[in-house]
Amino acid sequence: MSNNANSYGAGIMAKTGKAFADEYFAEENQVVHESNEVVLVLKKSDEMNIIVEEILLGDRKDDNPSLVVEDRAGYWWLKATGKIEIDCEEAAEILGKEYNVYDFLVDVSSTIGRAFTLGETFTITSELMGLDRKLEDLES
Amino acid sequence: MAISAATKAATDALAVNRAPTSVNAQEVHRWLQSFTWEFDKNRSKYPTKYKMANDTKEQFKLIAKEYARMESVKDERQFGSLQDVLTRVDAANKVHPKWNETMKVISNFLEVGEYNAIAATGMLWDSASAPEQKNGYLAQTLDEIRHTNQCGYVNYYFTKHGQDAAGHNDARRTRTIGPLWKGMKRVFSDGFISGDAVECSINLQLVGEACFTNPLIVAVTEWAAANGDEITPTVFLSIETDELRHMANGYQTIVSIANDEAASKYLNTDLNNAFWTQQKYFTPVLGMAFEYGSHFKVEPWVKTWNRWVYEDWGGIWIGRLGKYGVESPASLRDAKKDAYWAHHDLFLLAYALWPTGFFRLTLPTQEEMDWFEENYPGWYEHYGKILEEWKARGCEDPSSGFIPLMWFIENNHPIYIDRVSQVPFCPDLCKGASTLRVHEYNGKKHTFSDDWGERMWLTEPERYECQNMFEQYAGRELSEVIAELHGVRSDGKTLIAQPHTDKDGKMWTLDDIKALNCVFSDPVDAL
Repeated sequence: MSNNANSYGAGIMAKTGKAFADEYFAEENQVVHESNEVVLVLKKSDEMNIIVEEILLGDRKDDNPSLVVEDRAGYWWLKATGKIEIDCEEAAEILGKEYNVYDFLVDVSSTIGRAFTLGETFTITSELMGLDRKLEDLES
Repeated sequence: MAISAATKAATDALAVNRAPTSVNAQEVHRWLQSFTWEFDKNRSKYPTKYKMANDTKEQFKLIAKEYARMESVKDERQFGSLQDVLTRVDAANKVHPKWNETMKVISNFLEVGEYNAIAATGMLWDSASAPEQKNGYLAQTLDEIRHTNQCGYVNYYFTKHGQDAAGHNDARRTRTIGPLWKGMKRVFSDGFISGDAVECSINLQLVGEACFTNPLIVAVTEWAAANGDEITPTVFLSIETDELRHMANGYQTIVSIANDEAASKYLNTDLNNAFWTQQKYFTPVLGMAFEYGSHFKVEPWVKTWNRWVYEDWGGIWIGRLGKYGVESPASLRDAKKDAYWAHHDLFLLAYALWPTGFFRLTLPTQEEMDWFEENYPGWYEHYGKILEEWKARGCEDPSSGFIPLMWFIENNHPIYIDRVSQVPFCPDLCKGASTLRVHEYNGKKHTFSDDWGERMWLTEPERYECQNMFEQYAGRELSEVIAELHGVRSDGKTLIAQPHTDKDGKMWTLDDIKALNCVFSDPVDAL
């Protein structure tokens, strides 16, 4: 379990019983609070296990210190501040087989944030794509 | 020979945009955009009060070939696991009996939602005018067909390989007996396909999918795995791999109307109505299914709800849209109260009305009661004592001559049905955000449990005319209704529903129910 503020059991989730109830029902928590985080749920599979262990928690770990990855039985739960990006060309190299962004989508189970593909990159971002920034097409 | 205008347009476009020579899907996607239809002047069969922009994008750049390849890989993996290793290790018989019952409810109900979503997304395809947006909705229509089959397959699998087939097989035949089906149809059917097209998108995609599929289809897999069920994670996590595109479709619906004046007038009301409609049913039903329908607990339901609904959906989806005028739903305070207490309220009523269901419910063990009190301080004093009294009166045993519904009548605690959500409530005992209010309309009394549903009904009373079971069966004896509406197992006398999952416990029959002489009456008559 990580001590990172993005971890599954962080903040109010670390509290129990009355302490949890007091914060949960506190007046300031009766409206939503804007969040700059993103959440990604990856279904466990040969490919996803390698991408998580060797890329996100391996070679690319230092790229995004806010990223938390937790094992939730059938899936990996990821949370980060700002965005999470996966380069499927890099994944293909590590997997040792053809693997494009649509192969990656086979095991992406849920996204909270704006997720999109561009070329072989999958991105989930807290940016409001289409409102704050245009969604791009692949360049000619 | 003269060529048609369409052929000329295609020829001209080809001259400017040469066909890609590579097989890169995203290059093909970009190229296809130059051959699109002009949808902006088309009339829709399903109009909306909002103006949907003509340049809205689809976030994943899908083309048919890659879509079909992705989905076939998903199905190969899912059915391969189910038919090979999971059948070989007898996985369906290793599921805890309480959870086996829970999956009768969850998978059968989700199947209905997926089925209605086919129609909903077909309607949205017709309403939108941006080609890419249409493409996203069309892929979703195909997804929903896949999901309907997948949910049906979960129940088929449990029926064929599992431990208690009744209720997994053909649950729909019981749909008119109890109140749970009708509430589910309100969120999963009416909410998705009736009314303004954009409102339907907000109900289905922005709230139903972006918010509630995370507990319903993702978090549920943790509870399933903890209770020995490897079948549900295999299928449900595969279903959810399509949901991210559906969430994106809902978000793009909002993007498409963001610059329309109508958005500032209607969007916050529509969002609040959709949030309340969905949470009113999902919050108590999922909480009850997880906590009372499991033996091994993952975490309190209120924490699951707080994470996926309040912090993540609220903060990351709705909170981020604040600068575009989207407000925190006005009903959030009541929804949070429901997330803490309403599933306990619902369990009391569901257990009291157990003969009208299509699954077996179980009273919590002492260990589970301790868990409830630890996580919901005050639970024992309010709910635990009642459950102990029912158990002491032998409510699980047919020879006791007692079902907990009789306790409600003896103690003058009337149970009402909320007209809008169709969710039952008992104002005397409820700790969630429900209080009784009554309106008379066209010579008939209607009961409501909250401000938000009441407000929706006052705006469109003709939309909420579904009869509840007290109205439908007033004056009729309970065992007659159960027999007539297919609530019995294949022997023709044992009820599908039971108040325990003890394999050595005696099962209730129609004769046992008949001996109670329970006759339906409409509590509204006494008001």
